[in-house]
Amino acid sequence: MHHTTTAGVSTCSAALRSLHRERRFQSAGMSTGGSDSTVDKPADRAAEEEEGPIQAESTMPSVELPRKRKGEVEERQSLNFNLEDDLSRSEGEDQQVKMKCFREPHRQIEKRRRDKMNNLIDELSAMIPACQPRARKLDKLTVLRKAVQHLKALKAGASGAFADAKHKPSILPHDDLRHLLLRAADGFLLVVRCDRAKILFISESVSKILNFSKLELTGQSLFDFIHPKDIHKVKEQFSSSEMLPQQRLVDASTGLQVQAEAPVRPSHLATGARRSFFCRMKHSRVTGKHEGKHSLPAASKKKETYRYCTLHCTGYMRTWPSGQLDPEGDAADKETPSLNCLVTVCRLHPNVSHQPPKDVNVKATEFVTRCAIDGKFTFVDQQATTVIGYLPQEVLGTSCYEYFHQDDLQHMAGKHRQVLRSKEKIETQCYKFRTKHGSYVTLQSQWFSFTNPWTKEVEFIVSSNRVISGPGHTKDESEAGSSKSTQDEAQQLPDIPGLSTGVGTMIYAGSIGTQIANELSDTYRANSSPSSGASSPFGSVQEKCLLTSRSTPSREEEAGSSSTSQSQADSSKEAAESSGAPESRGDLSQLDLDVPGLSSFSSDEAAMAVIMSLLETDVNMSQSGDFEDLHWPF
Amino acid sequence: SVRAHLDKPSVIRLTLSYIRLQTLLKVHEKRNSLSGLDPLDENSMYLKILEGFLMVLSTLGDMIFLSDNVSKYMGLSQTELMGHNIFEYTHPCDHEEIRHNLRLTAGWCVLNQKRDFVVRIKSALTHRGRVGNLKSTTWKVLHCQGRVKLCAASSSVSCVLLTCRPLPLSHTLLSTHTFTSQHSMDMRFTYCDQRVTSLLGYRPEELLGRSIYDLCHTLDTSCLNKNHLNLCLKSQSVSGRYRMLVRSGGYVWVESHSAVIPGVQPSRSRPRPNPSQPLCILCVTYILSQKQQLPDVKIFKAFILKLLFSILKFQTNPMCNIALDEKVIYGQKKQLPDVKIFKAFILKLLLFSILKFQSNPMCNSALDENVK
Repeated sequence: MHHTTTAGVSTCSAALRSLHRERRFQSAGMSTGGSDSTVDKPADRAAEEEEGPIQAESTMPSVELPRKRKGEVEERQSLNFNLEDDLSRSEGEDQQVKMKCFREPHRQIEKRRRDKMNNLIDELSAMIPACQPRARKLDKLTVLRKAVQHLKALKAGASGAFADAKHKPSILPHDDLRHLLLRAADGFLLVVRCDRAKILFISESVSKILNFSKLELTGQSLFDFIHPKDIHKVKEQFSSSEMLPQQRLVDASTGLQVQAEAPVRPSHLATGARRSFFCRMKHSRVTGKHEGKHSLPAASKKKETYRYCTLHCTGYMRTWPSGQLDPEGDAADKETPSLNCLVTVCRLHPNVSHQPPKDVNVKATEFVTRCAIDGKFTFVDQQATTVIGYLPQEVLGTSCYEYFHQDDLQHMAGKHRQVLRSKEKIETQCYKFRTKHGSYVTLQSQWFSFTNPWTKEVEFIVSSNRVISGPGHTKDESEAGSSKSTQDEAQQLPDIPGLSTGVGTMIYAGSIGTQIANELSDTYRANSSPSSGASSPFGSVQEKCLLTSRSTPSREEEAGSSSTSQSQADSSKEAAESSGAPESRGDLSQLDLDVPGLSSFSSDEAAMAVIMSLLETDVNMSQSGDFEDLHWPF
Repeated sequence: SVRAHLDKPSVIRLTLSYIRLQTLLKVHEKRNSLSGLDPLDENSMYLKILEGFLMVLSTLGDMIFLSDNVSKYMGLSQTELMGHNIFEYTHPCDHEEIRHNLRLTAGWCVLNQKRDFVVRIKSALTHRGRVGNLKSTTWKVLHCQGRVKLCAASSSVSCVLLTCRPLPLSHTLLSTHTFTSQHSMDMRFTYCDQRVTSLLGYRPEELLGRSIYDLCHTLDTSCLNKNHLNLCLKSQSVSGRYRMLVRSGGYVWVESHSAVIPGVQPSRSRPRPNPSQPLCILCVTYILSQKQQLPDVKIFKAFILKLLFSILKFQTNPMCNIALDEKVIYGQKKQLPDVKIFKAFILKLLLFSILKFQSNPMCNSALDENVK
């Protein structure tokens, strides 16, 4: 900016006129107005201007402006001439009125421009330290003068940035720009030879990201620094199309994968072949201690001394003819006619991305579950097993109402209804959840319904559950109807849920969820529109689930807990398909039979449960005496 | 030559920007003279490879600095834009998001200083990339990534440094660790690449009709939700890292780059995008890590191994020793039938339960239906 040569008043105003002409073609939002004319010079010449015109012009009435202004806008000039012509023809009295009416909008435009200018000058005075301490507002000229001095001081402070005469002078010195860039992007430039993966160039900023210095890395093989499992991935990216005849490219306009025409000549590779991939690179925690690690053989053997960070690398393949190779190249270089390189920018992959910080707190006594809108579990965190005793497979497909204590059903149903209709997190009160052993744990949950942004319907409910207190002593012992294998394991045997609260309650509990889901889908249907078929599965599921839940009492006496949940899972699975009603009845009849697969299933489940309970009781397996206590089922 | 045409307010605008920038740079680390490539070359190469431009924004949204190549992406030159406010150039619906990202976080929290978001910005470029009439500006989607540069002395000097890139999706070489998929607008799969089988274990037919939300870890729902919203509103998006469940149990970290395109039927050999066809989402997913097992499986497996070792020890169990000793006393050294059966049981149990335990909880529910 300092280098703009200032012309005399006439050339400057001519320039201004041309600028205004250009600006006529620009939309209003782009131009910055400001045609205060008498001082139409760049800032560093403002000092030489008289004070008078600036001050005076702001107070002058608009009528006198056309006469005193130089560098008038052409269109306004012509307009004014026309106006004056017209005016000269009209009556004397109307002259004044008409001029005033016409000039009104101009006055407004002028006022706006002046205000903008004043605002800018105020901002400038706020930025310049010399202008700060004054009590009263400084006049414009002084502000501009101080600004010039400040800029000169800044330029002197900068380290010879504008020395390059051949390059276009930029606003920011190059070093600063690089510094900003690398700070913003958290990345480094990497140039790698394709045939041997030798690092030809790497920028300084790598030291900030990987903690290796530039010198340590240049000339090394890239594969030494990449995670072993990613080496194959990166090798692929190096390959040119001659070696890999079937390149898969994505064509965004059609969404298809397009086969690149093979063979592609190397010259085409130079410009077009884009690469984008993720890889993991080593980074050491301590700067510059890379060589030090070799001196400690014990430490270097461990793989844990290196940590990896994920980088996103984007760039191009480039080819250089052999004439431009650096003289250090070995004999092999002369053999290859051209040098293929991958030039990329590697950026640190952001860790924090789209995740709400601390929204979902999963600690040791917390677990997350996900269920469909009718309350059936579709995802259960593995940690849940330590709390509720059931393995995830046992619980999936079953309605959460089967596990709630009778007293809490009312409250939970209310919350269920609420969460389906609200977009916020719903906190439940403490409620009891039945574990596999028949005891109850007290939980408190936060429910949050997730709506598909496109269909605007609730897809599922996410529940973050926290344990308030451990299992109480309200054990409901019920041994009846256990499967064959579990009969003998009296002490460790998990009790069958559902039986304890009675058969009648089972029906009610199972169908609560589906009724609530029913209500919701009714409101959807009532409100609108055929949305991508999301409503129909709900409809069919409800019908079948109602049928299923009625049939469960008959099954209770037969199988153990796992098989019950399994059968329910089966029926809900089959119900979820778009099969018609007769098929579901067929399923039900099938459920009445004792499917042999289920029983063996349940025995292993039970055995696994035994082992899990062993895990819980923290048996030390090195002690041999423990086997005595167990009564194995043979 | 541009500078001769600058009008006064523009000059002051640019001056302001310059001063702000200098203040910002002074406050921070000393600029060491770096050896190596000529900084000009390195900068321009960096920006060219990155395919984006640098933007420095104040906390109020003033574009304090833009790199030279902004004209390539927005059609407007550096001097025209510097000093203006970004809210004049971005889509009104994105303003809230921009404001959210411009907020300064407390200095001690280093992680939260990173910024990553997608905005729609005006572009005066025509379809062919030439600078067109300003009145016919279109919206361009930019992916902005960067960090906050705090100035402890005065918060008005603090700003956000961002690199802004348009999101290119086409003509990128896909590696074996990526797969493409197409979805309907509610994120249900309508087509999936064959590679998903080798990467995640699902067959493409299994995935059709399923929502992507079923496939991801529950804790990442919000991440995918944001991605989906971006797609619906801005037509392009980059998801962050999220976890996808693998068919055999466990999960992998992935990242998806997606865009909304006019729907095409993949079966046609020469498809022509038809504007009247419904929109669909094209997604390119990169696999970032190997399969991570759920931690309890590890514990369980470790336990099983312990159990195995203890089986070997079972031979020296005092209980068995008593029985064995009896046999020895009587001159017979046979293994007790109980031990045999017990070992057989344990081995069968281990085999079966390990195979079962690996199974994906989600697979137990609806996916296996198709297999059956």
